[in-house]
Amino acid sequence: MASLLLQTIWLVPIYSLIGATLSVIWFPSITRRTGPRPAGYVNALMTFISFVHALIALQAAWNQPAYELSITWLQVADLNLTLPIVASALTVGAVVLITGMNLLAQVFAIGYMEMDWGWARFYSLLALFEAGMTALAICDSLFFSYIILEVLTLGTYLLVGFWFNQSLVVTGARDAFLTKRVGDLFLLMGVIALLPLAGTWNFTELAEWAKTAEVNPLVITLVGLGLIAGPMGKCAQFPLHLWLDEAMEGPVPSTILRNTVVVATGAWVLVKLEPVLALSPIVLSATIFIGALTAIGGSLIALAQIDIKRTLSYLVSAYMGIVFVAVGTQQVDAALLLVLTHAVSMGLLVMSTGAIVWNSVTQDVTQLGGLWSRRPISGLAFVVGTLGLVAFPPLGGFWAMLDLASSIWSTRPWLAGLLLVVNGLTAFGLVRVFSLVFGGKPQQMSERSPEVHWPMIMPMMILLGFTLHLPLVLQAFSLLPSWVQLNKDMALLLIWSSILGGSLSAVLYLGKAVPKPIKFPWKGLQDLVAYDFYTPKLYRSSIVFGVDLISRLTSWVDKYLVDGMVNLFGFVTLLSGQGLKYSTSGQSQFYMLTILVGLAFLGIWLCFPLIAQLSLDPAISSLLTSISALWSSRTAG
Amino acid sequence: MQLQYFLILAAALFCIGIFGLITSRNAVRVLMSVELMLNAVNLNLMAFSNYMDGQSIKGQVFTVFVISIAAAEAAVGLAIVLAIYRNRDTVDMEQFNLLKW
Repeated sequence: MASLLLQTIWLVPIYSLIGATLSVIWFPSITRRTGPRPAGYVNALMTFISFVHALIALQAAWNQPAYELSITWLQVADLNLTLPIVASALTVGAVVLITGMNLLAQVFAIGYMEMDWGWARFYSLLALFEAGMTALAICDSLFFSYIILEVLTLGTYLLVGFWFNQSLVVTGARDAFLTKRVGDLFLLMGVIALLPLAGTWNFTELAEWAKTAEVNPLVITLVGLGLIAGPMGKCAQFPLHLWLDEAMEGPVPSTILRNTVVVATGAWVLVKLEPVLALSPIVLSATIFIGALTAIGGSLIALAQIDIKRTLSYLVSAYMGIVFVAVGTQQVDAALLLVLTHAVSMGLLVMSTGAIVWNSVTQDVTQLGGLWSRRPISGLAFVVGTLGLVAFPPLGGFWAMLDLASSIWSTRPWLAGLLLVVNGLTAFGLVRVFSLVFGGKPQQMSERSPEVHWPMIMPMMILLGFTLHLPLVLQAFSLLPSWVQLNKDMALLLIWSSILGGSLSAVLYLGKAVPKPIKFPWKGLQDLVAYDFYTPKLYRSSIVFGVDLISRLTSWVDKYLVDGMVNLFGFVTLLSGQGLKYSTSGQSQFYMLTILVGLAFLGIWLCFPLIAQLSLDPAISSLLTSISALWSSRTAG
Repeated sequence: MQLQYFLILAAALFCIGIFGLITSRNAVRVLMSVELMLNAVNLNLMAFSNYMDGQSIKGQVFTVFVISIAAAEAAVGLAIVLAIYRNRDTVDMEQFNLLKW
């Protein structure tokens, strides 16, 4: 039974697609009377089926060799496009994570989207995401991964643009699509350039090839840079990170999904490409640099945000940056562990903030406060999410960070230091949000704030329980380091960085020593971070400006030069007709003259050979020369 | 006396006729210029008939026809001029430029 389910793991994306298709029935334009709620129930059911399927398949896959399946998609000439499916413990585990998170997000959405009519569209898009991500997890081909990433890019566009009558949603969806699309297009360049080098797009065969490959370092560097550009856009890394901030305009349940697993799709591809990236040290350094920059920048920006959703979105960028660092230092296991723990904890954080926003209306943390006594469950979820995200034993994030930090401590100590700093900043930022939302005195917007109803609380609690049990799960799967191998110094440093950042933030924001809202001594710096290093302006003054200018120029050239050239011919023809009609003067005597002139010319033309041979009489020619001499002397005189 | 002198004389007469045809403002004078040109042609015909075809003198026969046709043409021409004059009260060629562009 279990092995049969493992062999039919490819059904999991299909379940979601069935759900997405069935949702169409409940579009408001089709089902006009009974409302869209069944769309949500059907999709949640399909996701539940997928989850159970994957869970049972995971048991079968555990400690077993990977089950592989290959489906021929297209055979043309020399190109053989087969879709390889790999059902290993890792891929099925990823499917379990995705379907589990999606199930929780969908149940959460049943509560959150209660007052919304767009369930059919919303749930069909969530199902499309689930289908895409599970397909990405089990597919073992770079080419098909690229296809799925593009489908997910389109899905992001549609899902962020869910409430499309809001202008910020429309611009946010636009930016999310274009930014991710740019990254994907660079990825496509890398994917295409990789085939002549490696001769395959299968990740496992690529890894085999990379072991013994001898390629031009420049070529592999360029290909590698193209390959990391796709995940850069997907994972919202600097400088392609603005879209995630603007994607916070979408509904919260989709944010749960996006912040936890969708951005991780880029990291997944990056992890699978690690053997290829490792061929070029420059690419690895670039990966580390981008990741480190994003980690520091993202955690700094998160400190200065007042929008509760945006405080979390920049932390997502920062954590994906750490995953980049992990891949850059070839710590693939640490990267995957980090993706897992981040997904669980961040899901919990987003659910908690979504529950707060749902009945406090405002997203501005400076207008919230004093919710701890009345919203204990949401508060607890936020606390556990925070502890699970930063390095705080025994929760999951600690083990992932420790795994990464202790393995890079000997080779790149400065990176481990960066990890400590990012961890401290994250702790500071999350405790700040907690203090502003749950601590302090209730403000106008949060004066009457009841706890949310069960469909939102239940998934939050389940995820809270899973976050708490994650260390046990990891231990059961023997993913935790043993006590002997534990780098105790590093562990202590990590714990201290979390505690230092968190307690400093608590003192600042819960204590009364500093007046609120807290002003930074130098306002320029505070603004710089709060406005995301002015990235929109940066985009607008560089890429957008350049493309806009060039397109205006080409439009101008097309409108005036190309069109004008063609129009000129017509215009000249028109003008010549207008002008030449005056040759018809109405004077019959003029017509006679033209007939005569025509005849004369024709005669001269016909008789020209004769005239040319005509030898003048010597007397006449001497007369002519004397006349011309006389004429010239007269004009000279 | 040689053939070419007659031909040159006829050509000169023809040219004078053309000059009158194109430059005259009076419609009757235009008809007169046409007569000059026809007479130049007749001169040519007579000269060729005399010098080239002394036996069967076809040119002279042609000339007779040309004279008679010219008479008819002049009659029709004058009739047209009269018809125009009745309508427009003038025989100035410059006034007959109604059929233009």
